[in-house]
Amino acid sequence: MRTLEKFTRRLFLQRGFWATTLIFWSWFRGSTHAKELHTYEGTDFIGKTREGEYKNFYINFWKPMRRINGKTWQLKITGLCDAPQSFTLEHFKSFTSTTQSSRMKCVECWSARAQWSGFSIHELEQIVRPQPNAKGILFHCADEYKEYLSRTALNQDRVILAHSMNGKPLTDAHGFPLRLIAPSKYGYKNPKAILEMEYVSEHQAGTWSKIGPYSPDGTILPGTDHPLEFGKEPRRISGGEITDY
Amino acid sequence: MNNVVKTFFTWASITLAFYPGPVFSSKMVEIPAGPFVMGNDSDRYAPPQHSMYLENYWIDIYEVTNEEFAIQFPEHPFWKGAAPHPVTDISWQEAQSYCLKMSKRLPTEAEWEKAARGEDARLYPWGNKPLRKKAHPFHSGLIKRRIGLNKKDVSPYNVRDMASSVWEWTTSEVEGKKITRGGLWNFHLEYEFSKTFDRNLVASSNRLPFIGFRCAR
Repeated sequence: MRTLEKFTRRLFLQRGFWATTLIFWSWFRGSTHAKELHTYEGTDFIGKTREGEYKNFYINFWKPMRRINGKTWQLKITGLCDAPQSFTLEHFKSFTSTTQSSRMKCVECWSARAQWSGFSIHELEQIVRPQPNAKGILFHCADEYKEYLSRTALNQDRVILAHSMNGKPLTDAHGFPLRLIAPSKYGYKNPKAILEMEYVSEHQAGTWSKIGPYSPDGTILPGTDHPLEFGKEPRRISGGEITDY
Repeated sequence: MNNVVKTFFTWASITLAFYPGPVFSSKMVEIPAGPFVMGNDSDRYAPPQHSMYLENYWIDIYEVTNEEFAIQFPEHPFWKGAAPHPVTDISWQEAQSYCLKMSKRLPTEAEWEKAARGEDARLYPWGNKPLRKKAHPFHSGLIKRRIGLNKKDVSPYNVRDMASSVWEWTTSEVEGKKITRGGLWNFHLEYEFSKTFDRNLVASSNRLPFIGFRCAR
């Protein structure tokens, strides 16, 4: 009887040990493998998605596009400027960097906040020297999206060309290698995966303004926002940049 | 004779259709002294409902237009067709400066609300029902129009465009921001008429395409 007692206690401890180990192992595996995949995960393409890690920051593209190779990418500055030229990512390292937290507000109603790092248009304009009749820039993006912003709007405070998000280089989904951040404008006025910036003399309609009910100006209007990180709980916004949350 | 009459009416119709209309916004109306109901308890952003007494004052019937503003501030840019549109993209300080140049001032929040609401606590300047289900066609921006174009947006004191035009600066402030009153709310491309007690708080230095003003005295 005593032997049986000893055996039972040992068995209990052994099984308890393995059960505890299994619980810890499954918890550890669970935390590392919980990441959900999105449609373009593991492919050479990127496009619109709300899946996986992008549930808290939706991704919109005009068309699915092939991922950009940062080693061969160049930003072309063309049009009405005295020194049109191309820049690589290396060039931007010498620019004065600025970091800001700002909320991206989509005209679809959702919004999400992130910390963006980049440089002001002024840095670029000192080199390319836009001509007096250059009223604005037409952005040409890798997904064939086009958007126009006036130079007045582009030279406002807190408008930057961003190369990093939350302390890391932009991901393909968020517009690697370079995107515009204009916090007082709806997301469609924040072009990403920029290939070319063309100085033009007249206002031009961007892709969405040309075909959809989107205003060419794109300033965020007073109304209601549904921030993703707050479970889309509706919040009243006063228009312009959202600074309250 | 018939042809002469027809020709006259055709000419008159065409002339009237293309006539841009006079810019009346400097015209004022007197709001008599007396109490009115201010605020609303159902809207957590509005002041609580209460009765308030105001002495008599004068307020512009129309919002200040681009054309009028440019007379005092010639550097103010606008495209030719926008001359009779309400002036926007001006800061609170610029709006107040304009009013002072005209020997006027910006209205307080209470003055604005009484002018829009009258004494019967109505929800909209014209009554208690929205004019239309949709205040604005599906579009992500404002479509600005000539002041006074909406013949139904008239308050009990005959003040115009207080619920279906742009937001307007007032002298009042909350939490360090100026109170603007009376524009359109955008709800994902759908627009709603602003109610007479609706508030929108904006930093005074902001120049935004949906904020204009009218003056008081």
